[in-house]
Amino acid sequence: MSAQPDTAVEVDGLSKNYGPVAALSSVSFSIESGQYFVLLGPSGGGKTTLLRLIGGFIRPSRGRVLLHGRDVGDEPPNRRPTSMVFQSYALFPHMSVERNVAYGLKLRKMAAPEIGRRVARMLELVGLAGYEARMPHELSGGQQQRVQLARSLVLESDILLLDEPLASLDAKLRKDMCLELKHIQEKVGITFIHVTHNQEEAMTIADRIAIIADGRLVEEGTARDVYERPRRRFTAEFIGDNNLLHGTVSAIAAEPGGRVKVDLGYAEVAVDATVAEGTDVAAGDAVSLSVRSELVELVAPGGAEDGARQTVPATYLEEVYLGLTTSHLVRLPDGSEVAVRRISEGGDAAPPAPGQEVRIGWKTPSARLHVE
Amino acid sequence: MSEDIATTVLQSAGGGRDVPASPSPWRRWLGENGLQKWAFYVPVIFLVLFFVLPMATTVVWSVFERTQFWMEPGFTFFAYENFFTSARAENYVYSMIHSAWAVVISFALGFPIAVFVRRRVPRAAQHRVILLFILPFMISELVRVFAMRPILGRYGVLNSLFMDIGLIDEPITAILFSPLGVVIGDVVSFLPFMVFAGFLAMEAVQPYVFEVCDDLGARTLRTFRDIIVPLAAPGIFAGGIFIFVNGLGVALVPIILGGPGAVNAGLIVNQAIVALDFPLAMAISTIMIATLVALLYIGHRLFDLTKILEPIN
Amino acid sequence: MRDDYTSELGHGLKWAYLLGIVGALLAPVFYVIYISFNEFGFGARIYVFTVDWYRVVLGDKMLVASLEWTIYLALAAVATAVPMGLLSAKLYKKTRYKVAIVTLMLAPLFVPADIMASSLLVFFRHLNGIFELIGEALGWAWLTHWFELGFFTALVGQILYTLPYAFVVILITMSRYHPQQTEAARSCGATAWQAFWHVEFPQIRAGVFSACAFVVILSFNEATRTALLKGGFDTFSNVLVSQMLNVGMSEESYAMAGIMSIGAMTVIGSILIYTLVRSERLEREARAKAEPVMST
Ligand SMILES: Nc1ncnc2c1ncn2[C@@H]1O[C@H](COP(=O)(O)OP(=O)(O)O)[C@@H](O)[C@H]1O
Ligand SMILES: [Mg+2]
Repeated sequence: MSAQPDTAVEVDGLSKNYGPVAALSSVSFSIESGQYFVLLGPSGGGKTTLLRLIGGFIRPSRGRVLLHGRDVGDEPPNRRPTSMVFQSYALFPHMSVERNVAYGLKLRKMAAPEIGRRVARMLELVGLAGYEARMPHELSGGQQQRVQLARSLVLESDILLLDEPLASLDAKLRKDMCLELKHIQEKVGITFIHVTHNQEEAMTIADRIAIIADGRLVEEGTARDVYERPRRRFTAEFIGDNNLLHGTVSAIAAEPGGRVKVDLGYAEVAVDATVAEGTDVAAGDAVSLSVRSELVELVAPGGAEDGARQTVPATYLEEVYLGLTTSHLVRLPDGSEVAVRRISEGGDAAPPAPGQEVRIGWKTPSARLHVE
Repeated sequence: MSEDIATTVLQSAGGGRDVPASPSPWRRWLGENGLQKWAFYVPVIFLVLFFVLPMATTVVWSVFERTQFWMEPGFTFFAYENFFTSARAENYVYSMIHSAWAVVISFALGFPIAVFVRRRVPRAAQHRVILLFILPFMISELVRVFAMRPILGRYGVLNSLFMDIGLIDEPITAILFSPLGVVIGDVVSFLPFMVFAGFLAMEAVQPYVFEVCDDLGARTLRTFRDIIVPLAAPGIFAGGIFIFVNGLGVALVPIILGGPGAVNAGLIVNQAIVALDFPLAMAISTIMIATLVALLYIGHRLFDLTKILEPIN
Repeated sequence: MRDDYTSELGHGLKWAYLLGIVGALLAPVFYVIYISFNEFGFGARIYVFTVDWYRVVLGDKMLVASLEWTIYLALAAVATAVPMGLLSAKLYKKTRYKVAIVTLMLAPLFVPADIMASSLLVFFRHLNGIFELIGEALGWAWLTHWFELGFFTALVGQILYTLPYAFVVILITMSRYHPQQTEAARSCGATAWQAFWHVEFPQIRAGVFSACAFVVILSFNEATRTALLKGGFDTFSNVLVSQMLNVGMSEESYAMAGIMSIGAMTVIGSILIYTLVRSERLEREARAKAEPVMST
């Protein structure tokens, strides 16, 4: 088979249709063993569908799923080396915590003392030692998710699927559980595939992230890649607080390492050509630029115009205090709005008055070019 | 079967990447995507064979030739002629009218109960209150209808009561063994169903609707007419049809409580069977089923009956 | 749901009305039971309590035989209609064609007893004729009696009558079940059957048992379909109907009606009490859950 021995999951041209609805269209990627892999994307994008296809809960309309190089197309969930953690309500409500975790081992007809040992070890790992006799309804949401995790991990399957496991928890708990999930994954060393629509969660835990939207794989890479160097405009819009500027390509430098010039209509800016590598732009193409809001600055009038920085004129709108950061909103001459984000500091200088003409700017390598 | 699954899982769990052999052919056949999947269709197949097919073929039998004890293949509208040119057709129409009265009375008596329970009883207790109506529903219709005799009859409880308090001098005999008796019998038989159907129908009326109405100062009757009934219409209609066709088709009620002139479609069919006129029985059954289908179709066009299913989804 | 402005009197009256209707539906039945214990039957000036009429009924060989048939039929109906109700409820949960399935499942409710019974009667007689023909033509004797009127055809009538109720009762219970628990069990290594038996069934058990009770009672009460489809034997309600028609309101028929209603009330009453007690307990648990149990 084509897969490398250390490829845990390979999906190949996977599609799923529900009647006329294409929940997933021709998605292909592979996941290395032992990775924490996150499927990130907006609701209804097809993440759950993808995860359930891998787990064997639904059959693909087209395409293949290979787990450790083996085509598992005909295997039901209980015959796959995967195990799943659900968003909520998935604990068996009529069984105690201990019996929930022991269930899979009992099905394997393991000896009772051995089951007891493994269950105790697993509850220890997820921080629930002493809760064996509790019933699920006597646990908080976070604890229920830990029990689910224990119930899956105790099976020692080598691929763990998690479908929005933290979505029903409150913000603070979600953050803590997030880190804990990561640590547990590092401890057990198996492949985790985690579905979420929360980008912060994804950034915190992921080794690699795949962006899924409209049933398609938009982009895949390390957390740093998708955040700092989004290749697709969708990624830029979805991840981070990106500003988008629209224009047309006016010139392309011939020499390598040169720059692409983009005409925004009211100004012309340059983009590093390395950014455009792989994208096939020609003069006259409609393109978008994305710049993260923390990389945009308000430029003092009359500041030096050099090649290291691009600036455009704008009208100051207002200041929005967000706690850690403060956002300054400005309007560009074409009507679109841009956010300029700064760490809030006690002694911030007074912002410009609303309506005042200002300039904004960014370091040339900060801008990404997207063709779409 | 569970054992070998356990071993394969154990192998893969032990870190070994042993690939289990692909499932044997018989497992494919018996497995979840083979026979097991088809097991779920057993009730559907059963209903198609023993319900849909018999109901659909009534049309065929209804045009067969009548023989002395049975029927033989043929093509004749004799049974229909027989039905439409005798008192039977008239009786059929009358029994539709009686049935319609039973529907109206059941609605008037039963639906307000459903509204009251939804509106004024705490949510957790609502089902329990409605369960009260299971008790009469589950006592044989036969017994409940039969029990109306000692109540409504010439020497029955009602007459003695009225005579004792001097309301009347002579026992009223017009109730039992008359169309009125049949309507009462239908209401007694099917009223609980209207309460259940109404209760399900009221699921379509969110509690906030009541609050909005109160806020706007709508009077009770107006709220009822303008808001509740339209929202609950599909459920009410389904309950109404149920009572209507059963009033039309259950022979037991006119047999026990009816008299001359108080006959319904069920009883006519019943009598035709007793008289061994099977094509006639099938012709009336066909007309009855056609009536039912027509009513359901109209109801569906008017109210979209699929809305009733929303609570169970 | 009640607010502070609801009139107490009006509310009380509405409750009185509700209970009054339940009472009005039940009172005649209780009156029948009351009469069935009178030595002198209906219409007598004096009332002397006796269980003699019940003794007469239960001493009647024919009636006891009919009671046996009734029980066999009821057991057969439970053994078939409840599993079928369960299968169809599961199918309903899975399928995309929900409206079609539910229409088909509930349609028998809307075909009145006498219509369905006579259609089935004619259908089975034709089917029987066809099978006899084939059996004779091929010399396969075992084929000839499949659809002769008898226990099997009566059972078909009863299944058609009880299946919709079993389906609805089980479906309503199932709507409270979270299907991801089945998936969780599957991912723990359970087969579809194990997942159902270990995880889903314990949670819908109450509904399945209620469905069993419903089917037993409905089957006991059913008279019309059985009367036409049964062939040679009589059930209890068949005998009661013919008693009422031929003898009129005899003391025995009061006792028989008494047996049927007391039986039904006992079964349904115990289920109601069990359900109420259970929902009380569930509510207590829910309250306990609502209180913060501990920190995380
Ligand atoms: N069982 C189903 N039947 C019909 N449509 C479905 C079903 N499951 C998912 N879909 C559709 O498929 C799309 C993707 O859904 P899903 O995978 O749940 O998205 P996500 O998990 O990313 O929010 C949605 O448009 C959804 O409506
Ligand atoms: Mg999802």
